[in-house]
Amino acid sequence: MIKLYDYELSGNCYKVRLMFSFLNLEFSSEKIEFYPSREHKSDDFLKINPLGQLPVISDESVVLRDAQAILVYLASKYDKGKNWYPIDDPKKIGFISQWLSFGDAITGSSSAARLHDTLFYHNFDIEKCREIAHSQFRILDEHLFFQEELCNDWICDGSHPSIADIACFPYVALSEEGGISRMSYPAIRRWMDRFKRIEGFVVMPGVFPAAPL
Amino acid sequence: MNSDLRQNWYPIASSSDLPFRHVFHAQLLGREFAVWRADDGNVNVWENRCLHRGVRLSIGINEGTELRCQYHGWRYANRTAGCTYIPAHPADAPARTICNNTYPVKESMGMIWTGEEALDDNFGFNEFSENTVLRPITVNAPIDLINEKLIEEYSRLTFESKLLKDGSIEIKLGNSKKIIFFVQPQDSKLSVIRGVLNQTLTGDERYNFLKNHNFICESLRSKIDAITHELKIEPMVAKISQVSEDLAKMPLSEEGGRKSDIKVVVSEKRLVSEGVVSLKLEGIRAQLPTFQPGAHIDLHLQNGLIRQYSLLNGPGETDCYRIGVKLEDVSTGGSEFIHKNIREGDLLAISMPRNNFPLRRDSIHTVFIAGGIGLTPLLSMSQALHGMGLNYELHYFVRDEKHVSFDEVLKKLGKNVSIHAGLSPESTLGKISEIVQNPMKAKNLYACGPGPMLEATLKIASDLGWSDDSVHFEYFKNTKEINDKSSFEIELARSALSLNVPSGKTVLEVLKSNGIDLPSSCEQGACGTCKVNVIEGEVDHQDVYLNSSEKAEGKVMMTCVSRAISKRLILDI
Repeated sequence: MIKLYDYELSGNCYKVRLMFSFLNLEFSSEKIEFYPSREHKSDDFLKINPLGQLPVISDESVVLRDAQAILVYLASKYDKGKNWYPIDDPKKIGFISQWLSFGDAITGSSSAARLHDTLFYHNFDIEKCREIAHSQFRILDEHLFFQEELCNDWICDGSHPSIADIACFPYVALSEEGGISRMSYPAIRRWMDRFKRIEGFVVMPGVFPAAPL
Repeated sequence: MNSDLRQNWYPIASSSDLPFRHVFHAQLLGREFAVWRADDGNVNVWENRCLHRGVRLSIGINEGTELRCQYHGWRYANRTAGCTYIPAHPADAPARTICNNTYPVKESMGMIWTGEEALDDNFGFNEFSENTVLRPITVNAPIDLINEKLIEEYSRLTFESKLLKDGSIEIKLGNSKKIIFFVQPQDSKLSVIRGVLNQTLTGDERYNFLKNHNFICESLRSKIDAITHELKIEPMVAKISQVSEDLAKMPLSEEGGRKSDIKVVVSEKRLVSEGVVSLKLEGIRAQLPTFQPGAHIDLHLQNGLIRQYSLLNGPGETDCYRIGVKLEDVSTGGSEFIHKNIREGDLLAISMPRNNFPLRRDSIHTVFIAGGIGLTPLLSMSQALHGMGLNYELHYFVRDEKHVSFDEVLKKLGKNVSIHAGLSPESTLGKISEIVQNPMKAKNLYACGPGPMLEATLKIASDLGWSDDSVHFEYFKNTKEINDKSSFEIELARSALSLNVPSGKTVLEVLKSNGIDLPSSCEQGACGTCKVNVIEGEVDHQDVYLNSSEKAEGKVMMTCVSRAISKRLILDI
């Protein structure tokens, strides 16, 4: 069975848990306590990931770190319908990769602000983090507004969501824990409702379900 | 434009910002709103805080007819914002006074408008019959600066641009096309540019138009943000109003009696099955008060009679009250009058809705047993559970197929409804025994129908092991003969009064003639409104509202019919 080195409150681990659930894959969760014991910086864990970051998965002989990389790996290997990562479509793969980077960039701003406000990380310039997050959210909101105009529900074109949606969702959904309001981003708020209604969606602390249709 | 900005109407959302089952988060002049469209199309603009723990309702769940708070599940009704259910008190009806603040709302020119203290008469924004709404752009600046820069920017692009009297900005694009910009003052240093074109565009033309003006406004935004970056302005503070004094204080004496404080108009009268008419009642002055499933109203008829009818409305159906009236074989004047004399357009007086038949929504399974017109309260309850996706079954016993009322509502409930038509009294009892076979914890039974059927149902349920607190029932009327021969003393513990109740007078009448105003409704021991707590003494229960364990316990009584066995009763009044 695939093992996930997991921390309940981590949005990056949540990306992987979402992927498992959407693909209906079984996995075992190895708890790594981020706070307060900082187990991800322990010698034992550094042997698994020298960067000392979560998540990491181990699938048979493959040990893989980085949430975005894990999404690519899981979707390529286990999504038989090739919906989440349409590997044969270079254009789509290009756009998905573009938004995977964007998802990682949100981690640097919104997630950092949240760590500052909720888990006592004080080595960030919090105002700067929030300002960057707002400028990213503005771009995402504009993109999603015009996607809706083109009858696209998701970040990338097509009727099915992709791993780009998964990579962007958690730290957008958790932004208010870092003092970043989403009031000015109505298209993002609508996209979040749609995302929460994908079959297999699971919650994490701070992320609530959407109204049933 | 009023100098007090709270009296102005401002757009706070595009109509397309309120898709099915969504809650939109808005702010105007520092006050936050939860904005949601109910399934019936009505748009609600509410204070963005739950009355319970102050959590934002904009993260709540739009269930189509009610908004549920994400935190402890308090539910608020469409339109009225009255609380309809508190999960922590599942057996109780929430007080009518638990009601969130609502704000005026208009939908016009493809946008949703509100103003904290805006008046209907001042609304003048409906000039475009066609429209294309631009993507809203939030800018970190006060409105005056944005107005100035918008005109400057569009003039620079060689469009004729001017500030209109109502504070909006008109941009003439040529070919009779124009954009009107409204700037929504979200906070002292935060505003939203909302633009609308006076034509409906489609396809590529629409997309390119939206892209083009989005680009213009976005680049304007980044220019303005650069200017205001260092600008420090104190944020606006919206006052959260205190609870009004009459709610904050304990009332001196209970307001009661049979009050007819709401005027309604009969907007529809319809025969819904043999011998049953339905009336649709609409408020004429103001929004009708919040009701809960199981609630009834007193209907004051023109001939002086007062009759009780259950509301059969579904949750959130707050634009009218609906009741069903069966023509009684031996009418004492109420049902016959309604059937023969009441016409569409008639004005009637009704009481506030009261709920003495509250619905628990924490059951694993709920069984409803309705006989004839007893369907009405159970229909309201079934719709509430149906909307929440909870398990229930509704059994409807009728004389024959022609007597099936409210078919259109029953159809919506689908497979949860079983209609039992034309059964003999014996087979009716057999059927009820089948239905209530398996009592269990967290399963509840609600029954309403003719007296003999209810008595039989209660007996069957009790024999099968249903506990009294899991069986809930409502009689139409009390058919028992009331014995009012006894004479006894009542002591009112809180009022420090001793009164004599002579034979031929009820406790309620004696209380009222001594200036103690107790609420009452049916005045025949069926509805439960005039219930009081008994501190001491043995009660001669003659009502059909209390269940047998409540009667045996003797801690409460119905003052309209019940009397004393002991010489004296001490009441908690």
